[in-house]
Amino acid sequence: MRRLQIPELGGAQAAILHRPHVTVVALTRQLEAIGLNVINYWPNLPVAARSNDYLFLDVDTAHDDQFPWPLGEAPIPTIALVGSEAPGRIEWLMNFGADAQILKPVGTGGVYSALLIARATFDARAEMTARIASLRARLGQRQTVVRAVALLAARGKSEDAAYDQLRAMAMAWQISFEDAAERIVANARQQESELG
Amino acid sequence: MKRKIDLGILFSRSGSYKLLGEASLTGALKAIAQINADPRFDITFRAVARDPEGNVDAYAPLCEEILRESGARHVIGCTTSWSRKEVIPSLERSNGALWYPVPHEGFETSDRIVYTHACPNQHLLPLLDHAFARYGMRSYLTGSNYIWGWEMNRLAREIGLRAGGSVLGERYLPLGATDVARIVAEIAEMRPDFVLNQLIGPSQYAFLTAMAELRARNPYFAQGHCPVLSCNLTECELPTIGGAAEGVIAAGPWFCGLPDLSPSRGCGFGSSFEAVAHASVMMLAHMLHDRPGAEKLPLSDLLALPKAAQMGINARTHHTSLPVVIAQVQAGAFVPLKSMGPVEGDPYLTMGRDTLRPALRVVT
Repeated sequence: MRRLQIPELGGAQAAILHRPHVTVVALTRQLEAIGLNVINYWPNLPVAARSNDYLFLDVDTAHDDQFPWPLGEAPIPTIALVGSEAPGRIEWLMNFGADAQILKPVGTGGVYSALLIARATFDARAEMTARIASLRARLGQRQTVVRAVALLAARGKSEDAAYDQLRAMAMAWQISFEDAAERIVANARQQESELG
Repeated sequence: MKRKIDLGILFSRSGSYKLLGEASLTGALKAIAQINADPRFDITFRAVARDPEGNVDAYAPLCEEILRESGARHVIGCTTSWSRKEVIPSLERSNGALWYPVPHEGFETSDRIVYTHACPNQHLLPLLDHAFARYGMRSYLTGSNYIWGWEMNRLAREIGLRAGGSVLGERYLPLGATDVARIVAEIAEMRPDFVLNQLIGPSQYAFLTAMAELRARNPYFAQGHCPVLSCNLTECELPTIGGAAEGVIAAGPWFCGLPDLSPSRGCGFGSSFEAVAHASVMMLAHMLHDRPGAEKLPLSDLLALPKAAQMGINARTHHTSLPVVIAQVQAGAFVPLKSMGPVEGDPYLTMGRDTLRPALRVVT
């Protein structure tokens, strides 16, 4: 079961990207009641807006140029304020990749749960991205591993023994298995070129 | 010439938590009588009362009826968080405000509601501090099957685990259910340091009776060991529970014998439910007094008046500053063990709870 980690919200900083409007008033009231500080940006987000803890954005008026980061790469948890449910707006939102959403008009509730969900989703996404990057790197090194094992086996070892030797070298060098393979392949290449 | 102002009243006088509803009702009516008889107020209240009879689905229609059929814009009422959440849409539709004068589990700040009784940093947290220091860190959690019990126990679990404690068990009963045997058998088996009890009405009465029987036959549970804790037990239920309530430790803003929360001109209160309902009506009266038309103001404008802050209402959270008292049932009455000065309600627990600790002192 997934357990909710309640983030530290007291004194946290929430940014709202929205033109002056009752929506901003309603959001601000809820955020301040929870204990956050609120800053309002319009019409664009400055680079410094990255230092906020949360960002609320108005999907009805949003466009790519408002954000100082590429679409889909928000550096902080984002919460979409959805008014128009026209497919084009939803498509934009999907590409933006908000972590939670609130339907407009914003009334007297919804912000607290959106903050918790946005934080949890953002953290899970960041962890997933890091894990995928690491898996991808290891996958990319698979060919190198095969070549390193072949090089070691060429000195008269069985493939299994070469594999074990590579593992022992990685441990001795205190680097990953894949990095050890890379080192062996690089060494072999260097020797080859020296022998010319 | 006094202004006559309608005031909605929405408490259940029957059903599983009627003792609580009646206590709140008594407090509200005492305040209305006091205000109406006091020449210093330029207003009088006319009570527009409805009785949902403990049926959660009756609250919203009756709240709407009050707002539609009378001039009332303020309603004092509800005893459970479930019914409070039910009336919020009616309040929004009809531009009404609710004064909610009983303990709640926090994590809500509707701009249509003033929360005048305690929330977790004013009841649960200080109560757990007391239990951890005095009895130990191994808890058993129980409650009625709805949001009050669920959220209070979730919070207790989180706070306990964070402090290095453990939760030995957690079990719920449907509202009104009295088959407590399984829970008590589990407690007897697991021997926790204390039991946190969020049961309501008959479920709680049956549970305390069964726990008293356990105490009589099992020395581990003898009086003074493994106490039952409560965040909403008050004097208004003691006569019904009788001797089985002995030893229960409760947190609340007020217990009989302590100084009144609001000047009551000696009419006296039977419990914090009564005292806080009275204080709520008095606070409203003070804000409407000498301000013609104020009864039509949106709640946010009313609470923005300096008068609100003077009386301890926070316009940002709609919660109030309240004393915190830990008291134990001894010889049939609550005896205060500890108290601290007014603590501001912190419904989202974002104000930092370490500030709570140094103020705790022993009542001598």
